[in-house]
Amino acid sequence: MVGISASSNQAPNVASQETSKVPARRVKTHAKATRRTLTLLVLPSVAALLLINAYPLIYATVQSLHSGTLINAGKFVGLSNYSTVVRDPAFWHAVRFTVAFTLATVLGSWVIGLGLALALRTDLPGRGIFKVLLLLPWVVPVVISATSWNSLLATPQSTLPRLLGAVGLGHPLFLADPTLAKIAVGAFEVWLNFPFMMLMISAALESIDKTIYEAATVDGATGWQEFIHITLPLIARSTYISWLLMTIFVVNDFTTIFLLTGGGPVNSTTTVGVLAYRAAFENFQVGQGVAIAFLMSLSLIVISTILYRRIRKVPIG
Amino acid sequence: MTTTISRRNFGGLAALAATGIPALAACGSGSGAGSKTIKFWDMPWGPPSYNVVAKKIADSYAPTAGLPSVGYQVIQWSTFGQAFASAVASGTNPAVSTGGGFQAFQFAQQNAIAYADNLIDAMKHDGIYDDFLPGTLDGMKTDNGYVAIPWQLDAHVWWYNKSLLAQAGATVPTNWDELLAAGKALKKIGVYGFSTGAGSGNSLAYETPMSMMVGNGGGLFDAGGSLDVLNARNIEAISFIKQLVGEGIIDPASVSYTNVNQTAQWTSKRYGLGNEQVALADNVGTTVAKDLAVMKPLAGPHGDKAALVVENNIMMYKHTPSQKGSEAFLLDWIKNMHTFWDKGLVGGLPVLKSIARSAAIQTRPNYVTMINEYQPIGISYAASGKTVGTAQAKIDGNSAMYQFGQAILSKSTTAKSTLTSLSNALTALLK
Repeated sequence: MVGISASSNQAPNVASQETSKVPARRVKTHAKATRRTLTLLVLPSVAALLLINAYPLIYATVQSLHSGTLINAGKFVGLSNYSTVVRDPAFWHAVRFTVAFTLATVLGSWVIGLGLALALRTDLPGRGIFKVLLLLPWVVPVVISATSWNSLLATPQSTLPRLLGAVGLGHPLFLADPTLAKIAVGAFEVWLNFPFMMLMISAALESIDKTIYEAATVDGATGWQEFIHITLPLIARSTYISWLLMTIFVVNDFTTIFLLTGGGPVNSTTTVGVLAYRAAFENFQVGQGVAIAFLMSLSLIVISTILYRRIRKVPIG
Repeated sequence: MTTTISRRNFGGLAALAATGIPALAACGSGSGAGSKTIKFWDMPWGPPSYNVVAKKIADSYAPTAGLPSVGYQVIQWSTFGQAFASAVASGTNPAVSTGGGFQAFQFAQQNAIAYADNLIDAMKHDGIYDDFLPGTLDGMKTDNGYVAIPWQLDAHVWWYNKSLLAQAGATVPTNWDELLAAGKALKKIGVYGFSTGAGSGNSLAYETPMSMMVGNGGGLFDAGGSLDVLNARNIEAISFIKQLVGEGIIDPASVSYTNVNQTAQWTSKRYGLGNEQVALADNVGTTVAKDLAVMKPLAGPHGDKAALVVENNIMMYKHTPSQKGSEAFLLDWIKNMHTFWDKGLVGGLPVLKSIARSAAIQTRPNYVTMINEYQPIGISYAASGKTVGTAQAKIDGNSAMYQFGQAILSKSTTAKSTLTSLSNALTALLK
């Protein structure tokens, strides 16, 4: 171990000594050749990335500037699709719901994920089994989950309305009432994503040095003080990363809402993603659908940049 | 229980393929025309055994000298839009296919469809032309010719649960007033008297109101084929549905019901009466299906009687190794399709009189009622416009239609405001 460490420490010195002996022009030529080699090596990957990402992106950009339908390219309309979209009240309704939905579900998933990660850190009997079971919502295909949630909530005879009825809380129409439908899709999204949060936080908790807690205990810190002043600051970086990732997941998530409510009743649970789908795939207005998707991506890039800058300022550990 | 498939709107998933069309088109001509076999693409129209039988029929086709044989392929509903659109764009499309109800009209606009006029002439010489139920072939007629040949009908008919109606002491309604009275009686025993659903992907959200509108002499298009949403008959029909909502005759949770939820309400005896598709009893299954009966068409307030009918069809494509081969195979297919009803593999109504008269249909009283009472008064999406075209293809499955269906079930809107929103949305769509 020591030998390896020593040799690896010495290597750069040797190299630097050798480099200093060769003429500057030769170094420059060597560096140029290295750059050329590296460029050639990277080129296939860049070309592949361009083919995979750039072509669809350029093609989508072209589509957003045309009045095309599903089977016709359509005429060039400039930025007309974008102006139509931003002047549509339905778009802003969807934006408002998407923002509220994202904030609520990211926070909800984080709180539950954090609570479970902390609980699983204790010496709970059978916690390994719990950990696996708690991952189920995340690993089960969303189509199956949505079907199960639908059968739990959809009709007055479904399990949850019947249970609530039995305890005198009426028979709430979870998917038919606009307010309850918003709550239902939010709860479904949280249920789907808390395992991801739990995993992220569990990994972060594992990396905290236990001696810090031992020192705090010796100093008389309470459990709450340890949580506020040790745990939260030390998992802050992971927390921001998980918020960033889940924000991207939720904003881009189309299937969850589409399968459970289809964006209804009467648009109450329509997100920007669902709106883009409707424009492109139900209304045949591909240009408008792509324009909505681009606006959504732009917003995500802005949010991601802000959160990423915040993450960079947070010290590791 | 046989879960039967009625039809699917073509538009939805085709969009994905649209993004790939230029790239695929650039690949040049595919194997369709160059191939020595007629490619026949078919959908899963029933249980898996449907496609097994369909393949046997295709394989048993013996072409006359010089004409190509047939290759059968199943295309799944989940990806059929992409499959067809990308195949047409790349020239690898089938020569003959079933598919979405309005698919032929869409592809005809793209100049991809081979019109069936020659085949119609051949059927006239062959005698099979006269075997088609009246009006069925006309549904495929456009200004440029016949875009396809119908093979089964997806009709919207009035169903009721005999035992629930008896339990409620209600008589089988014959008009809208009696429907209201029956609904009130059913409500007293905790049953809803007008089935509907407007949840994710449930096309009955708008088809049921459309059925009521055409049943009242209205519809979304006038005799000239122009959009005519705000006519008095439509307002009257939607007002009637909203009255049923107000009276509690329509399930307040139905606004979120998928097809599965809606069928489950029949199975659990929560729905006792409603305007539903042909295969309702097959889909409900269990012992409840035995109680389900089709009543005669209801008369509207002005005495009108009509039923919304969509014709599922078989189309031919221009890109084929042999147009004569496509026509010969399709003719053979039509002559053999009685097998599907003989074996109980499809839920739609047949288009051929010979099948309608067969024991397979005559032993099923509900089917007899549907063929005798509903098929003759069938009206398409085109309503008074008679001829279906791209306008109807565009509105089918459009988000404005789903929202229209949901808005009707909302207590906060009026019939006129709901139809005005729909009119504005469809005007923008079709301009």
